[in-house]
Amino acid sequence: MKTFKLENEPKIKSGFNIPEHYFENFSENVMRNLPRNEPKVISIFKKRKNLLMIAAAILVVALMVPIFYSSPSSKEIDSVALENYLSYQTNITQYDLINALESEDIDKINTTVALENKTIEDILATNPDLEQLINE
Amino acid sequence: MPEEEEFIQQLLNPKTQNEAFQKLLLAYQKPLYNLIRNIVLNHDDTDDALQNTFIKVFQNLKNFKGQSKLFSWMYRIATNEALSLLNQKAKKHGVSSETLQNKTIDNLKSDPYFDGDEIQIKLHKAIAALPEKQQLVFKMKYFEELKYEQISDILGTSVGALKASYHHAVKKIEVFVMAN
Repeated sequence: MKTFKLENEPKIKSGFNIPEHYFENFSENVMRNLPRNEPKVISIFKKRKNLLMIAAAILVVALMVPIFYSSPSSKEIDSVALENYLSYQTNITQYDLINALESEDIDKINTTVALENKTIEDILATNPDLEQLINE
Repeated sequence: MPEEEEFIQQLLNPKTQNEAFQKLLLAYQKPLYNLIRNIVLNHDDTDDALQNTFIKVFQNLKNFKGQSKLFSWMYRIATNEALSLLNQKAKKHGVSSETLQNKTIDNLKSDPYFDGDEIQIKLHKAIAALPEKQQLVFKMKYFEELKYEQISDILGTSVGALKASYHHAVKKIEVFVMAN
């Protein structure tokens, strides 16, 4: 078999051809298609995108504010509302209340009220209803 | 190289950019065409890869810090473009890069832009059977006649390793040609 040595052979060309006038048209094409203003366009777009994102973030925070501020107040019960509720809306009777109270609580309530005669007279004089109640 | 630095400044300056880039195109379009053509083998794919190469060069000029020569930087971009085009095509057809290259070589016989005969076809087939790196080294050295130092700058491989690669490639090609 004949030996084949690349360096002993005449130089083998690749065999590739190029279409006629290819390079003239190629350079024109490339010059026409260069992305000239692209960097500027990108920067403006990015700025707008950032502005939109900032606006969206502010909007979200603004929407959260009433939620944070209103939530604690809703948990506190107005004492007048509680009183009204206990008086009119529930089935709790005086007996239930007595049962719920400890003897210590009752002692606290059971304080002596020092009333002077004059004060009683004044109250009776300013509250005509009381007179009627006493009469009954 | 002060001349190259000056030329790069012209490429970056918006006032002189157009003219300078046209010069760059005229100087490099032929050698880069040949380099890409030897990798992708047909004219249409070469045209695509060459256009992408120049557009990438233009887009990345501002990032070119002169750490390597303009020549090797552009050759590197062109090589990467050619290889990625080849890989994308192989992936699209669901075949290996070698199978795709063999298919393309078979089609060369009817390619209007190929005037080689049997020995050229055999040589291209022998190259297609080599590992990718050996293919690149062989094509750059044998067809493009680049110096080892230039290939070293382009591929980022030591001259010693390149010489070994080329030597292995030549041996394998000789065996292939004799066996076929």
